[in-house]
Amino acid sequence: MRILGHALHRILQLSLLLLLLVGHSSSAQSLKQLQTQANKDRDGVARLDPDLFMKHVITEHKDYSVVVQLTALSPVYKCDACKTVDKAFRAVSRGWKKQSSSKDAAQRIVFGTLDMDDGEELFRQMSIEGVPQLVIFPASKGPHAFENPSPRGLTLGAKTSSPEGMASRLGELFGIEIKADVPVNYSKHLMNIATVAAGLYAVFLVYKYVDLRSLGRNIWAICTILFVLLMTSGFMWNRINEPPYVGQTRSGDPVLFAPTNSQQYGIETQIVAATYAVCALCIVALVRHVPRIQNSDQRTFVTFMFTVALILTFSYLNSVFRMKMPGYPFKLLLP
Amino acid sequence: MANKVLGLTAVDQTSLLRIAILGLISIVAIGSRLYSVIRFESVIHEFDPWFNYRTTRYLVNNGFDKFWNWFDETAWYPLGRVVGGTVYPGIMVTSATIYNALHMLNIPVDVRNVCVFLAPVFSAFTAIATYKLGKEVKNATAGLLAAAFIGVAPGYISRSVAGSYDNEGIAIFLLVFTFFLWLRSVRLGSAMYGALTAVFYFYMVSAWGGYVFIINLIPLHVFALLVMGRYSNRLYVAYSTFYVIGTLASMQIPFVGFQPTFTSEHMAALGTFGLLQLVAFANFVRTLLPDQHFQILLRGAVFSLFVVGVGGLVLLTMTGVIAPWTGRFYSLWDTGYAKIHIPIIASVSEHQPTAWPNFFFDLNMLIWLLPAGIYFSFRELTDNHVFLILYSIFAAYFAGVMVRLILTLTPIVCVMAGISMANIFETFLNVRNLPAVETDASTDTTGSGAAAISVSVAEAKEKKKTVDTQSTSSGLSAHTEAGSGSKKSGKKAKGSNKTASKASGTTGSKDAANEDASTLDAPLTAVTTSAAAAVRKPASKNQPPNPAMPAFSPKRLYALFPKIVVMANFLYFLCMFQWHCSWVTSSAYSSPSVVLASRSPDGSTHIIDDFREAYYWLRKNTKPDAKVLSWWDYGYQLAGMADRVTLVDNNTWNNTHIATVGKILASDENTAYELARRHDVDYVLVVFGGMIGYSGDDINKFLWMIRIAQGVYPDDVKESDFFNSQGQYAIGESASKTMLNSLMHKLCYYRFNEVMGPQAFDRVRKQKLPSSVTLDNFEEAYTTENWMVRIYKVKDLDNLGRSHRAVSVLEGPKTSRTMF
Repeated sequence: MRILGHALHRILQLSLLLLLLVGHSSSAQSLKQLQTQANKDRDGVARLDPDLFMKHVITEHKDYSVVVQLTALSPVYKCDACKTVDKAFRAVSRGWKKQSSSKDAAQRIVFGTLDMDDGEELFRQMSIEGVPQLVIFPASKGPHAFENPSPRGLTLGAKTSSPEGMASRLGELFGIEIKADVPVNYSKHLMNIATVAAGLYAVFLVYKYVDLRSLGRNIWAICTILFVLLMTSGFMWNRINEPPYVGQTRSGDPVLFAPTNSQQYGIETQIVAATYAVCALCIVALVRHVPRIQNSDQRTFVTFMFTVALILTFSYLNSVFRMKMPGYPFKLLLP
Repeated sequence: MANKVLGLTAVDQTSLLRIAILGLISIVAIGSRLYSVIRFESVIHEFDPWFNYRTTRYLVNNGFDKFWNWFDETAWYPLGRVVGGTVYPGIMVTSATIYNALHMLNIPVDVRNVCVFLAPVFSAFTAIATYKLGKEVKNATAGLLAAAFIGVAPGYISRSVAGSYDNEGIAIFLLVFTFFLWLRSVRLGSAMYGALTAVFYFYMVSAWGGYVFIINLIPLHVFALLVMGRYSNRLYVAYSTFYVIGTLASMQIPFVGFQPTFTSEHMAALGTFGLLQLVAFANFVRTLLPDQHFQILLRGAVFSLFVVGVGGLVLLTMTGVIAPWTGRFYSLWDTGYAKIHIPIIASVSEHQPTAWPNFFFDLNMLIWLLPAGIYFSFRELTDNHVFLILYSIFAAYFAGVMVRLILTLTPIVCVMAGISMANIFETFLNVRNLPAVETDASTDTTGSGAAAISVSVAEAKEKKKTVDTQSTSSGLSAHTEAGSGSKKSGKKAKGSNKTASKASGTTGSKDAANEDASTLDAPLTAVTTSAAAAVRKPASKNQPPNPAMPAFSPKRLYALFPKIVVMANFLYFLCMFQWHCSWVTSSAYSSPSVVLASRSPDGSTHIIDDFREAYYWLRKNTKPDAKVLSWWDYGYQLAGMADRVTLVDNNTWNNTHIATVGKILASDENTAYELARRHDVDYVLVVFGGMIGYSGDDINKFLWMIRIAQGVYPDDVKESDFFNSQGQYAIGESASKTMLNSLMHKLCYYRFNEVMGPQAFDRVRKQKLPSSVTLDNFEEAYTTENWMVRIYKVKDLDNLGRSHRAVSVLEGPKTSRTMF
């Protein structure tokens, strides 16, 4: 926040300077200009340039507040956070646009964005070191004036980067309720509906053509075992922490296993679940399949085969674990 | 009978063996939990146990009534805490009972020792309970294996080493035993066992918040059975008895109170209870209606009731009649919830999701025996197996979401692994009669899946209750028991071979005395088949063993060879499992964290005892009502060891209060002084690891303090202020201004460079120290030997009303005192 504080300080200085230079234009005019700019945009976000910003955002006497997003959306900067915040910001702005049908409300808050491309010079002057940032320039007079009209930043955390979070935080700041207008993801809904429909149809087909009495239990067993395998191999960890699917070395070669025991890659879960499954399969085969073989030589061979498979799989699992946990003293065949 | 050994019949011998093996398992279970006592001393570990220990002492000294009405004004100053109403009293009452019983027997033992050794002793009980559970669902072999597994499984040891005096220590025993009683009551349809289940459920409620798992899993079991069309009067009797008594009993615990009647966590149980009554009624109607009509009626009714029930539940929750899910519980379902909304829950490391190495670390090979066990359960699928499968699914999910819930997964994994291993043993340890395998297989195939068998089992159960459905040969059990029991001695199954040759017939819950004596001479072969086969073809039992096969012919050896290989392999796996468990217990789970050990280069151990040093200093050198401010982690220890008033402790019920403490530590000195005076704080305690490299210190926890404080005071504390211009969380010269000025930073690094020299580094963060730290409003009161705990006194107001800063400027810099 120190950076931001510093930036705000600079902004204040600049604004004072500017006031001396340009004098001050009327508040209503300023608002009008900003709103014209805002109306050009689908989401009601005024695209600011240094001129607009200097004249209509950093003026001392205004009866409206401006929420400005400082960002760098051009792909050159590779700023992923900017995109997330921009999306949320636009959703909040849209929501506000919908919500503020009355004239009074519309005049209260204006949303604006200042991009690195438009105002690089300005960014440098304000010594802004990081984007994205959200700065609020509150109204200093009129019915919605703030007690302390100095500009303030809004911390962009995980919560405030989501449309709902940002809207609620802004709402708290302004003391009103702001609702974000999150676009309905129709394609996703359609996909879900299609999946459900396909699933239902599949269930119907199975119900109609497959003799459930002979299969039912096996299906349940397979589902249960798959679920348990996933759960015990760190699937939920992946869901929550969203690690990369595979790792990379410096030279760009893929790495399957994360080197520490508190981290894992996406593919690890699958490999580990598969090793568990093979081990379990060997056990089941030894108990269920082997005794049914009539020919004793064949039976001996199959027994050996499954035993060797079990040992190899388990030792593979063991060696992976040793790799992830240096100092683990036990090993089985594989290093 | 010719085959008597020591004058015991075969049945008696197997019982004796079983008892001996269980005894050995108990000894191993207790023994492997004693590392910390041997390495350090008999001391209470960590944080929460200190609260339990303190309340136990209070209970022992003041009696139950006083304990029940105890208002502790020394905690959460100035709010205080109603201890009796906000605690699960099970563990304290248990220890106090044991303590009083021992004293009644004139065995003078200290409360502390009772508390320290409670968890290991209960782990032995857990092993026995698991044996009973395994025996209930499969047979004694599976039971013994499961008991052996749970005795040493690190997933359970992590919570039950000596000194870890926490609710989980007894709760896992109660969990397993309640489930065992439940399964037995369902199998027998016995109201007595149903009531016993309720009694142990009550004990569980009194001991651990995890009782919610029981009160959801059992109804789920009932519901699943109903959906599968397995309603029986036994189920009705068992569940109705259990639910009514259990719920009424659980409401006697003040902390639970009326929750069972209105919180969502308990609604499933209530709903299932209602549903069961309806089904029972439907069953009555069935006697009055034609069969087909009835089936349609039933299915429609079940489905619509389920929909109505769930809909009603959602509606009631939404309208607020039923309390919404509590945060901790809710975070189990919506996994992102805690991260966003409840930093105090997310801040605890044991609430993180589980990566796969954790599972392997805590359960080793059991983790892949689990799926095999599920498969075998599906083959048989009696009512009991349905329960095991449900338990596996839910416990696996919960363990995946939260690291600490591996604890509830461990029992079922052990039971499932026991079943898998028992299957292996039964197939490959059967060396008595080789053609047996073929016979075995053929009966198995003719059975063609468990469907036919379990149906006939159900019939058999109905008709002839004396036949134990879970029966297998006790002879086989004897074999395998010997196999598992003689792991260490290496004397493989030699003696038990003999035993096995005589022992057979059904074992299990029913009295062996009821058995016909003639069955005892039956060969192993026939008995390995299922009970149904035994019921259908009793004649096959009496076939004599194949006499043509001499003991050591090459042909026999050849036939034996694959079995020996398989068994050797699994015995080696079992040994590896035991090594793994001992290693994990010894290296990861046996540190008390109150006392630390470090190893010097020459291999000798150095004990670091700074915590107790500091607490003892507080106890001896401060006023009895002195208020000590520290981060909440140390609250229980402060109360327990220093016996002083704390502002916040590990019972994190009041987020605002915790955030206030966080704010004090994160503010600059003057603000902090102001706030500290307003909260009557006399001393501030910080834990600092920079001197000896203890990474769990307050500077490393500081970010969480800031986050929690920011949650309540977003205007005063901002996380981003604590990062320097490079966006790093740093200390010393490279830190941000706010960080440098924060009370925490000052208290930790005050005078630190005087001992370490100007060029020194913080040994945890490997960063350069701040050059000078001034402190005006606080004065150093005590710093422990390794500088791990630093205690500061909050200065009184100046007599002349000046600020402390002005005073110190006036008086000039003090000559630095030497510490030691």
